[in-house]
Amino acid sequence: MIEARPPKTQPWSARITYLALAFVLLAAALLPLNTVPRSYGTPDILLGVTAAWAARRPDTLPILVIAGVFLLADFLFQRPPGLYAALVLLMTERLRRRSTRLRKGSFPGEWLAVSLGIAAVGLANHLILSLLATPQAAIRFTLVQIILTIALYPVITGVAHMALGLRRPAQGEVDALGHKL
Amino acid sequence: MPRDRDRGEEFARPIRRLLVALLVLACLALFLVWRIDSPRVERVRAQVVDAVVPRLDWMMAPVTGLAQLAGDFRSYQRIHEQNLELRRELQQMMVWREAALRLEQENAKLRDLNNVSLDPQLTYITGTVMADSGSPFRQSVLLNVGGRDGLIDGWPTMDGIGLEGRISGVGQTTSRVILLTDTSSRIPVVVQPSGQKAILTGDNSAYPLLDFLEDRDAVRPGDRVVTAGDGQLFPADLFVGRVAQGTDGRLRLRLAADYERLEFVRVLRSRMVEAIADPGGLIVPVTGIEPPPPEEAPDLIGPPLPPGFLVGTSAAPATPPEGVPSD
Repeated sequence: MIEARPPKTQPWSARITYLALAFVLLAAALLPLNTVPRSYGTPDILLGVTAAWAARRPDTLPILVIAGVFLLADFLFQRPPGLYAALVLLMTERLRRRSTRLRKGSFPGEWLAVSLGIAAVGLANHLILSLLATPQAAIRFTLVQIILTIALYPVITGVAHMALGLRRPAQGEVDALGHKL
Repeated sequence: MPRDRDRGEEFARPIRRLLVALLVLACLALFLVWRIDSPRVERVRAQVVDAVVPRLDWMMAPVTGLAQLAGDFRSYQRIHEQNLELRRELQQMMVWREAALRLEQENAKLRDLNNVSLDPQLTYITGTVMADSGSPFRQSVLLNVGGRDGLIDGWPTMDGIGLEGRISGVGQTTSRVILLTDTSSRIPVVVQPSGQKAILTGDNSAYPLLDFLEDRDAVRPGDRVVTAGDGQLFPADLFVGRVAQGTDGRLRLRLAADYERLEFVRVLRSRMVEAIADPGGLIVPVTGIEPPPPEEAPDLIGPPLPPGFLVGTSAAPATPPEGVPSD
């Protein structure tokens, strides 16, 4: 006999998972392993993870948490504080609004929506910084970073699905209190 | 309608939208404040880093250690080739040692003749690297020494051999070093045998550009480059690196400091730093816009001469205005 199991992802555990993951990613990026300038951009995994969460389980991703995590990242990573965080907030809000529609569609549809968001964040960031004449690296770094982040998105969602239980809620799924997801 | 998640919380949605708009605006406002008054926000940044990064150390130190262990292990695998290589190098070094000894004796004699004494005030503090910038667009490292150890913004940092960067951002227990390869790094340098002055401009590549050279033909790849001591920025004659020519034909610098593994960093106690306290005003000449009234030249007939034509001394000296951020 199969007993009725509660849904696998409780909102609180998903929230804590996201925070822990963001913490680990921030710390991992700070490790002093490579101090020689690289000739390529590296993927922004934190952005990919946040996009995956916003597209799949926006109910477990409070906006204050996103703002806090990305402001901290701006401060730690020597980025101009606030700009990247604001752009990411706009991106997640857009994904959040579309998440119910994305849920019904296929994975390529979700990937496309997320890719547009990631590309928009990267390009807008570069554009605004150039408009304000802030010294920054060449645009090819930004382009490579966008492409790598987009290419890594299926991997991120795959790992999050298998290891962390982040999956798209099925139609009509309810949470522990009986609310519709 | 059935997919409307918060049917019962209809009233909460406009409030939420307002919250989002406010958050985004607050972030953008922070960005604008940073763009306008960068020193103050950078001080906030230094404090944030100071509060956060040392607390991550318990986690980061073991991981860094393990990764370096793995790197060392890989290098054991090719220990035989390395041995042969080292023997060859040792042979060459013996030749160099002879040359160095000869030069040292000669140098000592010349020093004696000149009565030169090296600057005894150039002492240093050594710190270890805790973290890097965490972004491919920024080249900086975080040291474990800070305001507690008396560090001041603008002090130069070296490894044993060459200049590495400068302190920018001092917290209580940490401080940030902007490396010479960062896009915002500009250092006045002198190319050694020819005495040409240039600005060393970081561009996020391993070989920073040598900009604003007066006479390119006087500089050739392999020339020594040292700091110029201009602009009250760094003490003069710190070794920076050697000139190299990039594939695009521009002159670049092969840095003497070993950026492969920055681990221990010397911070020189420079005495000539300038505190950056305000965002910097307009650059206006502070003295001597008005030339001294020209003396009557009774012997000359004709229209009045332009000021400064008769005597060369009435031209205003170009004094650098105070309070201009040096970076």
